[in-house]
Amino acid sequence: MGDSAHPITVTVNGERHERVVMGRQLLVHFLRETLGLRGTHIGCDSGNCGACTVICDGKAIKSCMQLAVQADGREVETVEGLAGPADPPTRLQAAFTRHHGVQCGYCTPGFLMSATALLQERPSLSREEIRRGLKGNVCRCTGYVNIVLAVEDAAQGGERP
Amino acid sequence: MLLPSFEYERPDTIEEAVLLLSTNRNARVLAGGQTLLNALKLRIVRPDVLVDVSRIPELHAIERTADGSLAIGAATTYDEIAGSQVVRDMHPVVASMTSRIVDRQVRARGTIGGNVCLADPTSNFPPLLVALGARLRVRAAQAREVDAEAFFFAPYMTAVREGELLETVVLPPLRADEGLGYESLQVGTDSWALARACAVVRCNGTISEARVALGCGPVPVRQPSVEQALIGCEPTAEAIGAAAALAGDGFDPPADVHASAEFRVQMAKAMARRAVLAAVQGRS
Repeated sequence: MGDSAHPITVTVNGERHERVVMGRQLLVHFLRETLGLRGTHIGCDSGNCGACTVICDGKAIKSCMQLAVQADGREVETVEGLAGPADPPTRLQAAFTRHHGVQCGYCTPGFLMSATALLQERPSLSREEIRRGLKGNVCRCTGYVNIVLAVEDAAQGGERP
Repeated sequence: MLLPSFEYERPDTIEEAVLLLSTNRNARVLAGGQTLLNALKLRIVRPDVLVDVSRIPELHAIERTADGSLAIGAATTYDEIAGSQVVRDMHPVVASMTSRIVDRQVRARGTIGGNVCLADPTSNFPPLLVALGARLRVRAAQAREVDAEAFFFAPYMTAVREGELLETVVLPPLRADEGLGYESLQVGTDSWALARACAVVRCNGTISEARVALGCGPVPVRQPSVEQALIGCEPTAEAIGAAAALAGDGFDPPADVHASAEFRVQMAKAMARRAVLAAVQGRS
C-alpha cells in the first residue's frame, strides 16, 4: 500500500483553489507550503498549542489535526484573511494592538482565529467565557491577561469582530 | 511529510464504509481525527487505508427512537451533541458534560464514536455509557448491539473488531423519578481527569435503584457495593457518603506523575458521592 492522491477544491480566504493533494498531507502544510500562506504557524505539531488554528466553515479547528483532503469543499479562513496589508485591522486585531496582547507573537495568529470564531458565534461574552473559549490556545509569554483584555474589548458592544 | 503513507477513502454510505473496512486488511476508521492523527504522527498506528466516515449523513444523526431512547450517530461531533436541543431536553447532563470536553477546536471535530472506540482510560463517555446502560450498535456485514458494560475490554480495546464500524450510540431515557450525575476531578479546566464517576439513581423518598460507574481505571466499572448500599436509603448526604465510601470495586487506576493510585481511589469515592448527590438532586 502507498500514498493516494486526491483532487480537492478548497476556498481559502474567499479564493477558490483546486489542487491535487496526497491523503497524508496535513491541512497546515497545505496552507503553508502548497498555498504559501505562512501566517498560520506550526507550534507543537500535536494539537495541543493552537498556533495553527484556522476557521473552517465557521468553526475554529487546529489545522495540524486535520488532513488537507478533509477540507475538500470547505471554506477556510486564515489570519491572512482578517485584513490585508493595506486594509485597516479588524476590531479584534486593533484591540490586540491597543492592549498589547502579544509578546513574541508566535501564538498570535492562532489566538486571532480562535477569538474571531468565538466572537462570530457569540458577539457578547463574559471574561469567564472568553478564558474558557481560548483554552485551546497556548501562549508562553504573556500570561494571557492582555490577550483576554483585548478579546473582552473587541466583545464590547456585541458587534461582529 | 509528517504522516506515514496510507490510502485515503471517503465513502458516502455506511455500507460502503463497512465494505472498505472489511475488504482491506489493516484499515482504520477516521472520524474527527483528534487522536488518530497524533497516533499516526507518532507511528503508534500504521494503517494501510484510512476510511473517513465524517461525511456519512446517517452517522451525524441524533434521533429519538420509538422507545424514547436517544440514538446518536458515531461521527456526531461534541459540538453537535452539546448544541442539540433534543440532547439538552432529554439528557442535559450529557449536553453539559460534552460542552466541556478539552477545548473549542477539539469539540468542533472530535466525535462520540472516536471517544468510545479509542477507549482511553480518561475518556469522558465510557463511564457515562456504563452507568446509563447505553447500547452500542456495531456494523459489519450485519448489525449487532453491544451493552456498554460489555463494550470496553481494556485500554484502547473495545468490542469493535477489525473490519467493523461503530454506527450508533443509544442512550436510554431517564424515567421521571430518575436522575443522572456525572462528576470528574480534572487537571485544569475542561482537561483530562484523574477520576470520574457517573450515577443514575431512582428515588421516590427512598432510593430504589442505582447504577454507579467509575472512570479513569483501565476500563469503566460498575460499583455493585455502592449500588447495593444505596438501595433503601433516604437520599441524605450522610447515607450517600457512607455508600460512596464503598466505591472501588474492580477499580485499578494507574500511578503516575500526576497522582498515586491510592489518591485516585480516594478521589473516585469523592466523585461517586458527588455524582450520586447530583443524580438525586437533579431528578425530574
